[in-house]
Amino acid sequence: MDLALQLLFTGIGIGAVYALVALGFVLIFRATNVVNFAQGEFSMVAAYLMVVAVEAGLPYWAAFIVALLGMALLGVVFNLGVYYPLRHRSYLPVIIATIGASILLANSVLAIYGPQPQVLEGWFETPGIQVGPVYLDSQYLLIIGVTICLVIFNFWFFEKTLLGKKLQATSQDKEMASLLGISVSTMIMITFIYSAVLGGLAGILVAPVLFVSIQMGSTIALKAFAATIIGGFGDVAGAIIGGLALGLIETFGAAYISVPYKDGFAFLVLIAFLIFRPQGIFGERVAEKA
Amino acid sequence: MPLLEIRNLVVRYGEIEALRGVTCAVEQGQVVTLLGANGAGKSTTLRAISGLAKPTSGEILFDGKSIAGLGPEAIVRMGISHVPEGRRVFPGLTVKENIMLGASNRRAATSEISREADAMFDLFPDIRKFTNALGWTLSGGQLQMVAVARGLMAKPRLLLLDEPSLGLAPVIVQAVFKIISEIRRNTTVLLVEQNARMGLSVADYGYVLETGRIVLGGKPDELWGNEAIRAAYLGGHAKASA
Repeated sequence: MDLALQLLFTGIGIGAVYALVALGFVLIFRATNVVNFAQGEFSMVAAYLMVVAVEAGLPYWAAFIVALLGMALLGVVFNLGVYYPLRHRSYLPVIIATIGASILLANSVLAIYGPQPQVLEGWFETPGIQVGPVYLDSQYLLIIGVTICLVIFNFWFFEKTLLGKKLQATSQDKEMASLLGISVSTMIMITFIYSAVLGGLAGILVAPVLFVSIQMGSTIALKAFAATIIGGFGDVAGAIIGGLALGLIETFGAAYISVPYKDGFAFLVLIAFLIFRPQGIFGERVAEKA
Repeated sequence: MPLLEIRNLVVRYGEIEALRGVTCAVEQGQVVTLLGANGAGKSTTLRAISGLAKPTSGEILFDGKSIAGLGPEAIVRMGISHVPEGRRVFPGLTVKENIMLGASNRRAATSEISREADAMFDLFPDIRKFTNALGWTLSGGQLQMVAVARGLMAKPRLLLLDEPSLGLAPVIVQAVFKIISEIRRNTTVLLVEQNARMGLSVADYGYVLETGRIVLGGKPDELWGNEAIRAAYLGGHAKASA
């Protein structure tokens, strides 16, 4: 029982990281109908930015802000360089462009920083606290706390603000949005910036738990992608639930069944969903009406 | 000077010439209807005016200024609001949200837009009880009301209405046209209709489009009076002249 509680905490912590990256996937998918295969690289680049900023002697919080501003800038550049020139083409050239961008980002970092994994300290000096039978690692607490705040922010932003409604309108019908005077290119720019910052946050938060490496992006992205499918592709709540579910599945699977097959459990569940419930937990809730 | 003037407008979709030199005008304060069969180019004309279709050649003058080739976002800011074919109500947003987004072409505080959207329900009382219902749950007639209300939120000087009666039951069509006759008090309207009888019943002037060209223009009674035209383009029956 104590072990289960401990695993629950760790599983939710790692699941929260997947949820943040999955949210980035979903938001870009809804706005552009394209899966951004460089979403994981956003996390990796942000982690490296953080390492660079901390090594440059900035205080941790300042490095955090610098890294996130860097990610916002990357979102702008990514939109202008990868999506915008191809926006009137079919989805295929755009998807290939995002794959190209992900290779470019990974290899640029490799060229600049070399192949050795880096270590990033956590935000807090204290490694964690013991609450009854459960040891709460401070970095996992931070991850969970930030994710909860972001989920609330996300809900408020998309459901309660006019800008959020304009973003939703753009993702549902771009031509109609433009007829109403909504600047579609601005809405898509905002989406890319937001998604890059979300992915970046995930990378920065998880970096002290994992190593900062070139491969961390693709590992996180694969899990997050699986999370979006489990939750129901294109569904915001589904991405969050799917991410948490995946974190729990792999944590419990590793503890009770097999550690080497940890990553395998996530993909086993993914395959099961693709076969038996391809629309995911939440499915398509918005029905098209003729 | 007419509010909207179109001269020799040509629009091509790839190899297909959808409009082959359309010339027409809409005077301030009028309701003008574009009639014609399916594929005659009615919707393309509206799409060219609102910026969704790029003109290959020709001129579109709004209030004397050329708007041909501008994007839809710029054109709606100048005061042309397009309610397109198929209503295009955002399925995942509520009725109120859909209507509020109609004001995206102008600068106003969210609270002000919200008040104006509430006031819209006075003109469209049938959809008031669906204020917080999602778009996809509504029927065709209700969607049409939302689409027109959203179009009016732009406070347009010219409202483009594309086939507002399409797919609606006769009693709903009557309700929609009653609203159009109320709108015309403050707004100039360019109305595309396949239902010639309904179109001409509210119009001051009508044009008949055939395969991308205007073949006839006139006051409603003149158009109705022309037997050959009525049979060929308006699909009218003897009953209609009674």
